[in-house]
Amino acid sequence: MNAPGITEPTDAVARARAGDAEAWGQLYHDYAPAIFRFCRRALPTREDAEDATMEVFMKLRGVLNQYDESRSFSAWLYKIAANHCWDTLRRRKIRQDKETEDLDALPLEHPDASQLEKLIEQRTSEEVRKALAKLGPRARMALVMRYYSDMSYDEIADELGVRRAFVGVVLLRARHELRQALDGSAALAAGGTQ
Amino acid sequence: MSEENRASTEPGGTLEHLDEITCLLYIERQLDRLRGQEVSAHTQSCASCRTLLKALERESRLLTRALLEEDEPLPSRLAQFQERARRSMQWIWGIVIGLAATGVYALYSGYIAPWQQQLEQAGFGGTNLVGLLIFQGAFWKGWQSVMTLFEVLAVLTLAGFALVMFRRRGRRGYIVAMLLASLATSGALAGSASATEFRKGQPTERVASDEVIHGDLYIWADRASIDGTVEGDVFVFAQGADINGHVKGDVIAFARTTRITGKVDGNIRAFTNMLIVTGTVDRNITAFASNVDVDQTGKVGGSVTTFANNPSLDGQIGRDVLVFAENLSVNGRVAGSVQAKGESLTIGPKAEIGGYTKFEGNKEPEVSSQAKLASPVEFKKQVHTREYTATSYLWQAIWAAALVLFGLVLFLLMPAFSHEAVANAERYGASFGLGVLVMFGVPMAAIITCITVVGLFIGISTLFVWYAALYFAQVVVGGLVGQLLLGRTSEAWPVIGRMILGLLLLRVCTAVPHIGGWVKFAIILWGLGAISLAIYRRFQPMLTPSAPVPTPYAPPPLPHNTTVGGIQSA
Repeated sequence: MNAPGITEPTDAVARARAGDAEAWGQLYHDYAPAIFRFCRRALPTREDAEDATMEVFMKLRGVLNQYDESRSFSAWLYKIAANHCWDTLRRRKIRQDKETEDLDALPLEHPDASQLEKLIEQRTSEEVRKALAKLGPRARMALVMRYYSDMSYDEIADELGVRRAFVGVVLLRARHELRQALDGSAALAAGGTQ
Repeated sequence: MSEENRASTEPGGTLEHLDEITCLLYIERQLDRLRGQEVSAHTQSCASCRTLLKALERESRLLTRALLEEDEPLPSRLAQFQERARRSMQWIWGIVIGLAATGVYALYSGYIAPWQQQLEQAGFGGTNLVGLLIFQGAFWKGWQSVMTLFEVLAVLTLAGFALVMFRRRGRRGYIVAMLLASLATSGALAGSASATEFRKGQPTERVASDEVIHGDLYIWADRASIDGTVEGDVFVFAQGADINGHVKGDVIAFARTTRITGKVDGNIRAFTNMLIVTGTVDRNITAFASNVDVDQTGKVGGSVTTFANNPSLDGQIGRDVLVFAENLSVNGRVAGSVQAKGESLTIGPKAEIGGYTKFEGNKEPEVSSQAKLASPVEFKKQVHTREYTATSYLWQAIWAAALVLFGLVLFLLMPAFSHEAVANAERYGASFGLGVLVMFGVPMAAIITCITVVGLFIGISTLFVWYAALYFAQVVVGGLVGQLLLGRTSEAWPVIGRMILGLLLLRVCTAVPHIGGWVKFAIILWGLGAISLAIYRRFQPMLTPSAPVPTPYAPPPLPHNTTVGGIQSA
């Protein structure tokens, strides 16, 4: 999950561990924009995202010694960011998703694919982002973890505190919410046909 | 839901239409191999399912693109984080150097210089090279102003620290407005302060008796003598300071010996070895000194507050006296009350005290029968030894409960900061080192700040925060001990539970006779350092005005494995 043109920052990490301020600067320079964008997508406001970005990097200073160099640094950093953002959301007690019933009720419908295609064709990235902001924290967090930072189902399950088998359901429900926010109708959101 | 659209698996294993979750798991490559092959085979023949897979795949792409797209620049305060972090490091070093310099100065004026005097009196007057270099005036000559400069630096760094703290808590527009308002205020004040005079460079600086200074006066010298008139305040940094003339403002003195033989209309605030008042001070005296002597001819219109070894009040005091001293002697007229704490109190025959007299000390006060007191002296014997009785253990339990409550409030009010402080406590060496510095350096710098008029609020506030931090330090170490025992957690209440357990254990340790005090001291140093480290880290990301700055953009990271496009075309 490295930024294009940026190899694994092994040297910078080693120097940062030794307290080299320049190495910290390098790591920050390379990864702060991506982490800010991650937080911006996951959290409700820009201020929250700014605070979270700084807190993630402060947290990074404390846990850098625990980084296993055999793993991808950016994947590890995203995990820290996801953990922080989800903690922030949980602390605010704004988990308003229908979590239990979502997970219990597996969506088994076969939606109208052509209608879905049409919906996707008509929407721009900006519209998707606006719709994303209307989602509940869990749905937004799940989509961001999966489609922004490319976290695995295991990692997402770990972060959200659900069983791995339900991650697909969480993601699908999140897509339904998104479709409803985009389209305004409940047809595609429910996963069925019109 | 129509029958044909119902996702199902026939008993024979063939698929009618795939349900949406199966399609999603398929494109995300989350199905097992066998199931994946079934789906793949089905899509070869089912156009509807193939279309659905493609639609889901396109939806994934749309999502990824929308999420990764850079739609807004990195905020300026984040963009400047790196540079600010470096600067904050410089701040920390500035504070450390400033406080250390204050400590050096205090050590010099409090210990080295008096020892030097005693040695000289005993005939060891610097006849060897080391003594010459270390103690002789020739070596220090010219450096005095440098020492006072360091002292001022210590105060300034502390003020800067407080300013940065306010900036961190504030928000952009508000901060800018505050800064502009401050600049405007200082600009407005600059006009009236244009008469301020600075005098330094000569071993002896003097304001002649016929000279009038129409503003404040700052003097750096070995010997400062003010025989004329100063219409503003006097700030004096010297070995010896004599106020023989008339000062219409306050006198703030950092000097070994300060003599007031003339008239001061304002207050005296002195950080000095010896303060002698034979003249008149219209308002109050606040002194941190070895000796304070208000002579028989001395008059103080207001109150006297002093931390001193041997204060002697033989003159007239217009209001109350509050003294923390080893040996206090009162042989003059005090219109208000006298409250003292120390080793001994002597009230001489010429003493007249208009209010009550309270003394807490080791010895019974010696009161002359000729002294005129409004009421008998209330004496309270100081208790030094600690009695380990059931009552004392009960109080320990009450204090432990109070501390737990304090910790609970802090952990709930400042969860993130509390966690950071606990995490920093694991850096034992850094915590202890910084703890020692903060333990002694901060109150010293705060007291110095208190002496200056401008810094009084900052100094007192700092002392309050420092005092509260002594308790918070125990909470932090308690939190760490709890974590070491029960393991780490990031959940709020389990963290609090660990903190409570750790605190109770610490209280048990500190209640052990004889060594408990030392244990507590070590815990406070440890925790204080951890808090300071946490504050230091908090200061790294400082708030900056949202001026547009170039964004150090790094291209967005892309997934390390492709999650979309997992279907096979028909």
